[in-house]
Amino acid sequence: MSTQKLIHILWPAFIVGGVAEAIFFTLFDPMELTLFGSDVVASRTTIYSVGFFCFWAMTASSSALTCFFQRTAAEINRCPIPDPTQRPVGCPKRDDPNACCG
Amino acid sequence: MQVKAVEAAKPVQAEEQTLYEIRRKIYPRAVSGHFASARWAMVLLTQLIFYGLPWLSWNDRQAVLFDLASRKFYIFGLVFWPQDIVYLTVILILAAYSLFLFTAVAGRLWCGYACPQTVYTEIFLWIERRVEGERLARMKLDKAPLSAAKVGRKVLKHGLWIALALWTGFTFVGYFTPIQTLLADVFALGTGPWETFWMLFYGFATYGNAGWMREQVCKYMCPYARFQGVMFDPDTLVITYDKDRGEPRGARSKSADPVKQGLGACVDCGICVQVCPTGIDIRNGLQYECIGCAACIDGCNQVMDKMGYDRGLIRYATENAVKQHLDRGGMFRRVLRPRVLLYTGILLAVTIAAIVTLAHRVPVKVDVIRDRVPMAAGSGDGRVENVYRLQVMNTDETPRRFTITVAGMPGLTLDSRENPVELGGARSRMIPVRVNAVPSAGVHGSQSIEFTVKAETIGGAPDPAPLVIVETARFVVP
Repeated sequence: MSTQKLIHILWPAFIVGGVAEAIFFTLFDPMELTLFGSDVVASRTTIYSVGFFCFWAMTASSSALTCFFQRTAAEINRCPIPDPTQRPVGCPKRDDPNACCG
Repeated sequence: MQVKAVEAAKPVQAEEQTLYEIRRKIYPRAVSGHFASARWAMVLLTQLIFYGLPWLSWNDRQAVLFDLASRKFYIFGLVFWPQDIVYLTVILILAAYSLFLFTAVAGRLWCGYACPQTVYTEIFLWIERRVEGERLARMKLDKAPLSAAKVGRKVLKHGLWIALALWTGFTFVGYFTPIQTLLADVFALGTGPWETFWMLFYGFATYGNAGWMREQVCKYMCPYARFQGVMFDPDTLVITYDKDRGEPRGARSKSADPVKQGLGACVDCGICVQVCPTGIDIRNGLQYECIGCAACIDGCNQVMDKMGYDRGLIRYATENAVKQHLDRGGMFRRVLRPRVLLYTGILLAVTIAAIVTLAHRVPVKVDVIRDRVPMAAGSGDGRVENVYRLQVMNTDETPRRFTITVAGMPGLTLDSRENPVELGGARSRMIPVRVNAVPSAGVHGSQSIEFTVKAETIGGAPDPAPLVIVETARFVVP
């Protein structure tokens, strides 16, 4: 994956993750949340920080899916080995120099 | 079909590679003039506020402190609680409409003068110039082979950048953790793990954005840069190259008469491109990369002065002014158009409403929560008991005494371990109370009762006007 794509995924996710964090923790006090039924023992600062990374991870996965689904049919169908002679023995397109490398 | 697929795949690849051009490093040339001075004034003002504000004190505490750990924001005399979220909304509305207003009137004023990206880039560039020299010297240094002198300069530059970035990160965290304590902790190497992390994170972001990314942040990462164009109209002041006057451009000697040579006023010196922090040529017209910093105006005016031509070949002008050849008066009269008046009206209305509600804010809040545990059915004498928790909040910084009473049903009595209860400034407490009633025969289900909380200030003369808060609650009779 190119750095550019990584930035495409992480940066918008960072912005939206920050907004989600602000809204969520304005409405809910981390001290009043429970984790699997028991109180959370960490400090607020820790919960805010960990919470931000959770939000960021979620928004980043959404961005990543968007990028993933953006691939065109041609990109998905393309053979990963462009040079036909390098293709494994038995590949029907191995000996045909005009074979599809797309 | 297969061959077609090959052909179809190729342009996709090519497109992906050209989505962003390969970045060429930009070496902005230093410039002086009205707009450069205005920008430096804004750099000083904004940074004086940013670096200085956390050090101010108010009521024996930090004047501006967003105390996330205790969920309270202190801004001078005001204390904001999570319940005050409406004011956050108000601030966002004000910020949005200010941006709309400024953009409609004069384009990207925010970007050119106040955006932290511009401000820190300006400061980092200033350090770069002090260490590595002017534009040509910097280009030469980057091309020069590795030498002790080159390494020395680079190390010095990055050292200064990192020092400033760390101080910025420290100041940022100082808005959320009392900065005096934080400073002591830093010197004792005893900052908390998350404080350390966020100081380094913000410091790294400053160093990366202002030192390395620079115009790329504006071009590729800023959402505002992408949509600011929709707020422009033909009467918006934007940085404009006067094509009619400038073209045909060309070099000429100072003594030559451009009219005789068939030339316009543009001497094609390229200063406007060299000073541009985003590396564009404003003579190609308005572009989304233009952050409205007006460095090209300053640069061009200096050249015009040297040539003895009129200033303003590149200037703030509107599309209509250029097309219809309006004079300055005609152009500025159009500033007061409906869109601008509407934005101004909304801004004023929201500001006034916010000030009025802030001034009339009741500094005491009470929330009644009925315990969901089943109420005691009484001891055979017909008494029914309900249990409540009263969240009492003293929202400003005056200590108060709270007295709780209850009414609304026959024979109501209130039993609380603490009543009255005293609370210091900006404190809240959960007070459990038991309420007993002797309901009349035939009364069942949920009844309405009222808690009255009287709040008096303590520590001085008796409070002449105690605050009285009435909260209704449900009393359940089985």
